[in-house]
Amino acid sequence: MIGDTLLLRVDAATAIAPTLRHLRLVAADGGKLPPASAGAHVQLSLKAAARTHRNAYSLVSRPGARDAYEIIVRRVEASRGGSAFIHEQLAVGDTVEAAWPGNLFPPVRTARHQLMVAGGIGITPFLSYLAEFGLSGASHALHVCCRPDEREVFAPWLPEGANVDFHWDADGHRLDIPALLAAQQAGTHLYVCGPAAMNDAVIAAARDAGWPDSHVHCEHFGTALSGGEAFRAFLARSGIEVSVGEDESLLEAIERAGVAAPCLCRGGACGVCATPLLEGDAEHRDHFLSPTERESGRLIMPCVSRARSGRLVLDL
Amino acid sequence: MMISDIKSRPIYRDLAPEPTASGHLLVVEGETLTPALLAAFASAFGPVAPRLHIWLVGGPQDVGAHPGRLWRLGSLADVEDSLSCASRGFGIGDRLYVSGTEPFLWRVAEAAGHVGFASGQIQLHHAGSLRRRVWCTHCHSITDDVTTHIADCAGCGRHLLVRDHFSRRLGAFMGVMVDAEAPGQVPAREEVFA
Ligand code: FES
Repeated sequence: MIGDTLLLRVDAATAIAPTLRHLRLVAADGGKLPPASAGAHVQLSLKAAARTHRNAYSLVSRPGARDAYEIIVRRVEASRGGSAFIHEQLAVGDTVEAAWPGNLFPPVRTARHQLMVAGGIGITPFLSYLAEFGLSGASHALHVCCRPDEREVFAPWLPEGANVDFHWDADGHRLDIPALLAAQQAGTHLYVCGPAAMNDAVIAAARDAGWPDSHVHCEHFGTALSGGEAFRAFLARSGIEVSVGEDESLLEAIERAGVAAPCLCRGGACGVCATPLLEGDAEHRDHFLSPTERESGRLIMPCVSRARSGRLVLDL
Repeated sequence: MMISDIKSRPIYRDLAPEPTASGHLLVVEGETLTPALLAAFASAFGPVAPRLHIWLVGGPQDVGAHPGRLWRLGSLADVEDSLSCASRGFGIGDRLYVSGTEPFLWRVAEAAGHVGFASGQIQLHHAGSLRRRVWCTHCHSITDDVTTHIADCAGCGRHLLVRDHFSRRLGAFMGVMVDAEAPGQVPAREEVFA
């Protein structure tokens, strides 16, 4: 089963909330799956009518499990396509191609205390963390900001004894992020996964409270905005010009044109999609390039970044 | 001798307090504290003085004007004890600054690491003598206060050549037997780390 891709079969699909679908995926050949560690994700190739979507989802199955991968997918308004496909079209028995699981967000196992902050569906990577911490006995606390009616949805994945607090937008229930971050002992690691605005707010609050960057971790998965002004990009090696729509990413437009572009996280975090930029003015939205690399204007991460103005010419 | 092209050799800088940190702890090896150094600390730490604690380890009885609150500790062992005393509750937003000789810097840094300080929370500033802590690659003993380029191992008595290779974990330089090939042929010792 060693290879670039895995063939998975949908073994079960359940609506656990109006906008949340839980999938259990098994190996199509009935064999065992490669094991994945806490915080890992799997990238699915979703073959919708118009084009193939490659979306990565955090695994919520127990770390190391080889019988099945479980994911929870939120149906996003103004969907990028993949989540709509999973909600509307994918049925039990269907097969899906997937890349081997990867992990861009593993917990730091030498931490004295693991502090997790999740926004909504951003809880998913932490469900596998909790499973690991339950076994290892690591000191931890998870703070989840969600709608009050979502509190029960994730209960089946919370191990007994897990230290989880729910917060929502009502007096007495909001999470006071600066207060939370100010009161942490040395050796604590902070993990945040949620909507971009929340990630940014937590990271900024950690900086203000003097946290060293080495102890602040963020899962940027699918949270970076990929839309914006429409623009055109010329793929120099393929000799194709693509137009990038307002609500699609440059990477999606490249894929639509049938040009193979490497990618993994599709959220500007992993660096896999780095593409030489031959001409044009890029608006960098990734979390990967260093400030100097950005300034040099020679590289772009098409999964999230766009043109600031005019046309881009890529070496693709 | 502070300059070396060996990568493991640490580079020390002047202490620069980070204004966003919640608490600041400056640990100073007393015998290396000169009036000029104290003046430099006073100007660097002035802006964070209300949140500054200084632990002065040994050294002058009369320090004079200084920023922050001053505490006196008798020895390096007291620093290690005070750091590991969990009730002090060091936070993730705190910063530790250490000033002194290399053996002092790294023993404090190591003790701080044990209570959870990240390397990004610690700044080290070299002051005073260049004497080294040497780790014998043969018997793994530590020999302190080495000022010569060849030294006798405190553990096995071998004659060790003090290399520039530095272990942050041990806070020590590597010492390798100098007369392994021709026993008894030990070059003259030179005071190089005074
Ligand atoms: S695919 Fe990961 S940075 Fe673009």
